[in-house]
Amino acid sequence: MATLDHRFSRLAALKPARPPAVRSTTLREPCEEDTMARLLGAGVSTNRFGEHLAVRNWFSTPEFVAPHSTCLQLLSQQRDEVISRRARTALENPEKWLFLDTETTGLAGGTGTYAFLIGLAWWDAGGLQVEQLFMRDFAEEHSVLCELAARLAERPVLVTFNGKTFDWPLLENRFRMTRSIAVPGLAAHLDLLHPARALWKFRLGTVRLTDLEREVLNPSQLGWHRQGDVSSKFIPQFYFDYLRGGPPEPLLGVARHNQMDLRGLAALFGKINALLAEQTDPDEEMHGLDLFGLSKFLHRRGDKGRAQIACAQAVDLGLPVEFHSRAQNDLALMAKRKGEHQRAAEIWHEILADSGDTIHACEQLAIHYELRVKNYERALEFAHRACRLLHTQANHANFFAQRGMARREDLSLKRIKRLEGRLSKRTGKRLPLGETRATGTV
Amino acid sequence: MPESLAVRTAAATSSITRVREVLDGFALCDRDGEILTAVRHFPARVAQWAPFPPWVHPDLREAYKAKGIERLYSHQAAAAEAAHQAKNIVIVTPTASGKTLCYNLPVINTILENSDTRAIYLFPTKALAQDQLAEIHDLNQRLDNRFGVFTYDGDTPSDARKAIREKSHIVLTNPDMLHTGILPHHTRWTRLFENLKYIVLDELHTYRGVFGSHLCNVLRRLRRIANFYGCQPQFICCSATIANPGELAGKLLETDVEVLNANGAPAAEKTFVFYNPPVVNRALGIRRSYINEACHVSQEFLKRDLQTMVFANSRLHTELMLTYLQQANPQQPGGTTTIRGYRGGYLPNERRDIERGLRDGQIRGVVSTSALELGIDVGSLDTVVMAGYPGTIAATWQRAGRAGRRSGSSCAVLVASSAPLDQFIVRNPDYFFGNTPEHAFIQPDNLEILINHLKCAAFELPIGPGERFGDVDVQDLCARLAEAGFLHRAGENYHWTQEAYPADTVSLRSVTSDNFVIIDLTGSPTVIGEVDFSSALTTVHEKAIYIHGGQQYHVEHLDFKERKAYVKRVDVDYYTDAIRYTQVRILECAAETRASDSLPEIPALRSFGDVLVRSQVIGFKKIKFFTNENIGAGNLELPENEMHTTSYWITLERPLLESLPFTISERQSGMFGLLHALASVATLLLMCDRRDLGTAIGEKPPYPDDQEMAMDAVQMRNHNSQDAKEFFEPNMYLFDAYPGGIGFSEPLYRAHDILMQRTRQLIVACACSQGCPSCVGPAGDLAPRAKEAALAILDRLCNSTVRPDRWLHSITDSHAWRH
Repeated sequence: MATLDHRFSRLAALKPARPPAVRSTTLREPCEEDTMARLLGAGVSTNRFGEHLAVRNWFSTPEFVAPHSTCLQLLSQQRDEVISRRARTALENPEKWLFLDTETTGLAGGTGTYAFLIGLAWWDAGGLQVEQLFMRDFAEEHSVLCELAARLAERPVLVTFNGKTFDWPLLENRFRMTRSIAVPGLAAHLDLLHPARALWKFRLGTVRLTDLEREVLNPSQLGWHRQGDVSSKFIPQFYFDYLRGGPPEPLLGVARHNQMDLRGLAALFGKINALLAEQTDPDEEMHGLDLFGLSKFLHRRGDKGRAQIACAQAVDLGLPVEFHSRAQNDLALMAKRKGEHQRAAEIWHEILADSGDTIHACEQLAIHYELRVKNYERALEFAHRACRLLHTQANHANFFAQRGMARREDLSLKRIKRLEGRLSKRTGKRLPLGETRATGTV
Repeated sequence: MPESLAVRTAAATSSITRVREVLDGFALCDRDGEILTAVRHFPARVAQWAPFPPWVHPDLREAYKAKGIERLYSHQAAAAEAAHQAKNIVIVTPTASGKTLCYNLPVINTILENSDTRAIYLFPTKALAQDQLAEIHDLNQRLDNRFGVFTYDGDTPSDARKAIREKSHIVLTNPDMLHTGILPHHTRWTRLFENLKYIVLDELHTYRGVFGSHLCNVLRRLRRIANFYGCQPQFICCSATIANPGELAGKLLETDVEVLNANGAPAAEKTFVFYNPPVVNRALGIRRSYINEACHVSQEFLKRDLQTMVFANSRLHTELMLTYLQQANPQQPGGTTTIRGYRGGYLPNERRDIERGLRDGQIRGVVSTSALELGIDVGSLDTVVMAGYPGTIAATWQRAGRAGRRSGSSCAVLVASSAPLDQFIVRNPDYFFGNTPEHAFIQPDNLEILINHLKCAAFELPIGPGERFGDVDVQDLCARLAEAGFLHRAGENYHWTQEAYPADTVSLRSVTSDNFVIIDLTGSPTVIGEVDFSSALTTVHEKAIYIHGGQQYHVEHLDFKERKAYVKRVDVDYYTDAIRYTQVRILECAAETRASDSLPEIPALRSFGDVLVRSQVIGFKKIKFFTNENIGAGNLELPENEMHTTSYWITLERPLLESLPFTISERQSGMFGLLHALASVATLLLMCDRRDLGTAIGEKPPYPDDQEMAMDAVQMRNHNSQDAKEFFEPNMYLFDAYPGGIGFSEPLYRAHDILMQRTRQLIVACACSQGCPSCVGPAGDLAPRAKEAALAILDRLCNSTVRPDRWLHSITDSHAWRH
């Protein structure tokens, strides 16, 4: 056996991926299994698939918020999804909602990644009821999943943060792997990551839940704090250590982390609900960039009217330079689409004066003067200006950007040709060649 | 008649006349019969026909009819029938015998009868899958697109993948994608796995050695997942002609497989020629460069407008020959390049372009590595020229099969290099023409390979009690993996407990899965190609001349960490050749005995066991084009490579060395020469690729576990006689060039006597006086009398009374010890 061990010790495939963890001297005894339960304050829950730990905690914050129909409309409106009557009815009933967040053994996905802690939450008695299902070992997975399926049968509207791409596909995998518990059907799935990103990415850059708690929600009124919170990157290893008899304490931190994520998720919904339903506290100070984000979001989800209002408010509140011209541009385009051509032209002139995205403004003004005002001289002047600017800028652009610019330049050149044609027809003679050139190189 | 008055042009004469012209030309220069050592004619063979089996769906029969297939070759009918009877089969036929129909017919027929049916087709390369896709698409269109067929590989755009998973009845993929992309995500492929009826393995013979050992384990995992979803898929395999297709299929699939090896396809007339470059210096055994000669032969064909495919055995030679042939056939103004290169490092679009050019005849010549050996459809060519023996009989026939695939007359020429194996083959044509091609072997239970796949398997599905991988009970291995932190036992099952994704770190084809990207900095930076990790160290080290598409590039910088090589276009008259050095340390000796069973008093030992091999590229030589002069060298500092593997070795003991009447440096040169010859003969005995065996010489260390490395080979070679140690008992190693070993060491240990005798005969039979590349290695690299010394050592190592006439027989007999 000694030589066999020796042989195995040389196999690269058996080299531990990281130096073996210092074994805790307090290895769990088999009868001590429930230290974890005691620490978590959890009970052993039993169903036909076996046992797992389950713990419930009720919190008074965040407080219940009734979902506003405007908000639901906006959140559930997706380009390619037609929302069914069943889904709408379920959505409008907050009792059917289930907030969900999982803690997993990795982020890689695939069939070998497990969700060892499934956090669930629902509105209850004006506050939030949080239930956490924990598998003490892989053997308890079926039992946990069975429980989750039961909750989802009762509350089939799933609310998550990045759950559409991560948590739910992973859980679907887990259900499929059981070959005995069917993947629960969802009435609807609201993923708050995308609206949150649309609303706050301009101001925050990254939109992790903890960033949102700190910058968007009011930290002092949340009722919890992230002090000493576990960093996500350690979570899988804490669990692996626990499985191998390591101490359960680090997992307490994970459970607390999960709890805060669930409460944060519910609180975030309250914030988005208020924002989209125009029920924000009138005293609360709004950030210009948040309004700009709101305008973008509303526009994408089809509420053009409110989008325009929010955008105008954003400009009024004042925006950083680069966003100012983007917002101006949006305003002008929205005005143009509504047929307010004069208003749009005014904004584009303003942009030119502020020296924002002047190329686009020139192009739009060229169109405006050609089609609306029929002032071909001015149109020609702007078309030439657009061409010149494009030319200068192309020198500093990368290959892909240059391709786009080339297309725009072609359009402007066509317009110039057409305008010159019109002008020569109107004056009855062709413009002298030299003059055209001159305008072209000013 | 006006036709007979037509001007006699090259195109108007039949290819057979033009081929004969070329061969007659060679024969004229070859008065002693030393150049054309064999000219064999193979007559045309007529087709054997059979009707479509009665169970074939009428629509499918119509679709084939519309393609011009109204009846089947006899072997196609037999294969379809066997597949229809739910047997696992392997079909063995040469290139261009319509083997794809053998599997398409039964698979598509089943899909037409039950649209739930799913099938996976595995091809060793992406290019082959693309090629098949076109074929099946065509059939599908004639069936009103009744089923879905898609390729699923690294080139599949991610937004198309979901649809493909839903819609494909037939998934065309490769083992690597199955391994990293499909099996670890089997829950996304539920529909496929719940209805998986057929697995088609094309080009089965490519799955041998390391790749085959990996594939066997991937198939174990595939069957495991299919069973999980309640399926027991049936296998249909196709193989080129090898000696043991049934055995290989049986080992890969670990089940009974029926072999169908009758061939009913017609074949055109073919001439096979062995060409040995003329000797220029008999004393030194120097022949004309086989690369130049191969170019010369190819040029004779190209000149007569015969479409020609040239095979080289390395990328470097591909590029060299491409350069020569492009110079000889300058591009017509405004026309396309008529001579192109083709190898793995070219980008996919470039390769598709070349394949098309070959089919429509725009490209008149192509220089390729083994990449075109497999069944990619490039149409039929007139002639094939092989620069150097491809290493195996099977590969030689496979390459020769590229000429004249369907009709007409064709010619294949093997131009021998001065390597011992090549020389043996061309001087003994009966050995090649009279022997069955080689055996293909796999070693799926190599622990390194097995454990890596066990990890992947555990990621895919927890490993239950009593689960087996082939014959291996994996419980003990799982316990060890759990100990190392990869798995955790819960209840009766072992689960994966790592964040990382195990398949990503396991490459099926080489030691590491990293490729180096080659970036041309001449203009704006552009990626011009890729090289795999192991060849990167020798081809794109700093200051190397990297040749791509006939263009030379100087490697400016090798970013080892980022896996990037930055190159600039240059025009120089030399190429570079890397120098590698190797050290071996014995870890554990599995067996050790006196060297010879019949002569127990010989002061030498033979052994086999586990070793640690360290190798490093330490420098390079600059070699001038055409003359092959060495015009300079440089040192390199590249990271060291370490590998555990198995080795066979001979220890020469002090009394043996003392009995040799040579100076120390002659003795050392003799040992290197002997090792050179031993490796060549071992390759022949094992029927393996020369690259599968590594060689090194080292001192026998006082203690097997001594941390000090044995004296390394390069140092020894450079030592002059004064500095060399007075006495050491050297070990001559022949090791498996793959981590963990692929099972060559023990057979070599057992075949020791045969190996010694054959090697002795190889050296004795060679006409050179002081050593040449065909026996102990080129004379210039060795001390004078090295050949003599090598022979003297051999004389002491073996019984010199073996009858030479038994020579050929024993080699074929020696297969016995492999079963």
